[in-house]
Amino acid sequence: MKRGAVRGIYSMTLFRKLVSIKGTLLTLLLPAGIGLMAIAWLIHGSLLERMSREFVESRLKDEVAFLELNIRQADGKIDMLKTGDYFEKVFHHAFAIQSPDQTNISPLSWQPLLMPLLQFDGDESVRVQDATIASAPSDILAYRKSFVVNGVPIKVIVSEDMGALKNSQAELHAWTAIVSILLVFLLVGVIWFGINLSMRPVVSLQAALKRLQSGEISRIDAEAPEEFRPLVLQLNQLLDSLDQRLERSREALANLSHSVKTPIAAVRQVLDDTSRPLDNSVRHEMGSRLGDIDRQLEAEMRRSRFAGPQIGKSAYPVKQARDLLWMLGRLYPEKSFELSTSLTDEFRWPIEEHDLNEILGNLLDNAGKWSAECVELSLEQRNGLAQIVVTDDGSGVSENDQVHLGQRGRRLDEQTPGHGLGLAIVREIVARYEGETSFSNGSKGGLKVLVEVSI
Amino acid sequence: MRLLLVEDDRLLAEGLASQLEKAGFSVDVTGTAKEAMLLGVQEDYRAAVLDLGLPDGNGLDVLRKWRRDNANFAVLILTARGDWQDKVSGLKAGADDYLAKPFQAEELIARLSAIVRRSEGRVLSSVKAGHFELDENRQCLKIDGGTEHSLTGTEFRLLRCLMSHPGHIFSKEQLMEQLYNLNESPNENVIEAYIRRLRKLVGPETIETRRGQGYLFNDAV
Repeated sequence: MKRGAVRGIYSMTLFRKLVSIKGTLLTLLLPAGIGLMAIAWLIHGSLLERMSREFVESRLKDEVAFLELNIRQADGKIDMLKTGDYFEKVFHHAFAIQSPDQTNISPLSWQPLLMPLLQFDGDESVRVQDATIASAPSDILAYRKSFVVNGVPIKVIVSEDMGALKNSQAELHAWTAIVSILLVFLLVGVIWFGINLSMRPVVSLQAALKRLQSGEISRIDAEAPEEFRPLVLQLNQLLDSLDQRLERSREALANLSHSVKTPIAAVRQVLDDTSRPLDNSVRHEMGSRLGDIDRQLEAEMRRSRFAGPQIGKSAYPVKQARDLLWMLGRLYPEKSFELSTSLTDEFRWPIEEHDLNEILGNLLDNAGKWSAECVELSLEQRNGLAQIVVTDDGSGVSENDQVHLGQRGRRLDEQTPGHGLGLAIVREIVARYEGETSFSNGSKGGLKVLVEVSI
Repeated sequence: MRLLLVEDDRLLAEGLASQLEKAGFSVDVTGTAKEAMLLGVQEDYRAAVLDLGLPDGNGLDVLRKWRRDNANFAVLILTARGDWQDKVSGLKAGADDYLAKPFQAEELIARLSAIVRRSEGRVLSSVKAGHFELDENRQCLKIDGGTEHSLTGTEFRLLRCLMSHPGHIFSKEQLMEQLYNLNESPNENVIEAYIRRLRKLVGPETIETRRGQGYLFNDAV
């Protein structure tokens, strides 16, 4: 097997397009890891933002409540409150208090920012962003509350500069980003390590394949991970059957050339000798030598055509049987060839198609030759056994002679044309499938052949 | 008796031709598929010996062309490959018998005489009913639209019986006469099994069951 072919098989069975497992894992896991980190970082950012805003808001609410309490204690007289930067000093916040006749804003520089907010009613927090007022912050969060003290409506606003908070928040977020990136690198390392560790047996498998190609070893004996064990097993089985086949075909060819070349030499000798007259006895001799060659060729060729059990090969027994029965019905028009089966037309047996044809064809042809009127083929499958039964209504074979049926070189009758090879071929193929061929007498006196192959 | 011998091996063709002539045939010999196709259709032969491996085409194609053009003489095919599948396809294409090379001239002549005798009384006979046509010579069922099913002996006889009188009810006992199998006492279950198989070919409605009476072939379906 060429290197390209091995690689081809790998990439076809494992992945459609990608070249290596390592590459696939990296291209899958790395972007996924980075993507997840980025999502986590973004969520972290928005959570941080929401948390800080909620925190500031609750503080502003507290302060408004505190101011309200103070105003209520002063019976609504705003000028009685401690003004100036008292509150600013206490809370570090700006505020505005408005009654119908007075507005206090502290610090004064925030006035342009807070004045517009005082024009609305209702208790709510307001966010002002991107304000462009000199000496006042551009981004504030304010909480406004309206209430009535002694019949006087009062509005209070407390607000905080969000700019400073935002800066520290951004810093924290940036740090998170740095930590995330570091974690991504760590993840890459861990993934790489994990892949390498789990791929180690595959690498040894790869090395074993290389050594197999270069001929250093004849079978793969590497420790394969469980997922690859069936693959290794099948590969080894394939190699075994290739070896066997090579051996068989060599042997067959050796036999053939041995048994064919001698008669050819003899015939040529006769033909080359111009002085020798070709009388009838010589002709007859030459004819029988050619007959020998043909018999040998036929036998070896048939044998070499048997496939034997093969992975991925199956046949439709019912369809093939119907074709053969029909054909034999045409060849022996006075005889009836019948099928009895409970299998459907689409039923499959893991027997190579040509092999099954040889089994069925030879059995039926043999039965056809001997039968008086009828041949019956039965196909069944029971308890994991494929059963082929061929019964004829001929004169049958005595039990003593049944032992010799299907043995090479034995023919019980010399009158029917044919080489008498049929049953021997059936026996040989069935033996390849580790099945059994047995002979018995049929109910009407003919021969009954039973072939059983476990499937 | 005119015979067409299609064989591209000159030595074999010459030898065979002279043997066949000795046996009483008047033999035309050709070595190409093209000429064989023409001759088979133009001339009036009683039999043909056809080699499957021709230099300019497959013998099976020649045979199919003959049969398509209603050349119905007996055909014996010669093949070098003794494959069962080859034999099946040869007979499906319309051959009457096959002989694997090498063979003895006597056997060839004996087989030829047998198939000529068989084809002698042969007329184009078929039973038609509804969408179905039963070819009696080839023992197969043709369905409108061109599909062809080969039948076993009993299937053929049962179907011929039913199709020859569409609409007529045949009792199980009557049908049993068409049956031939190795059972000592053929019973009604066997008939039912065959009817089930035939229904798979012609459709469940075409063969109707009349409870207690028997079966009929409905050609109106």
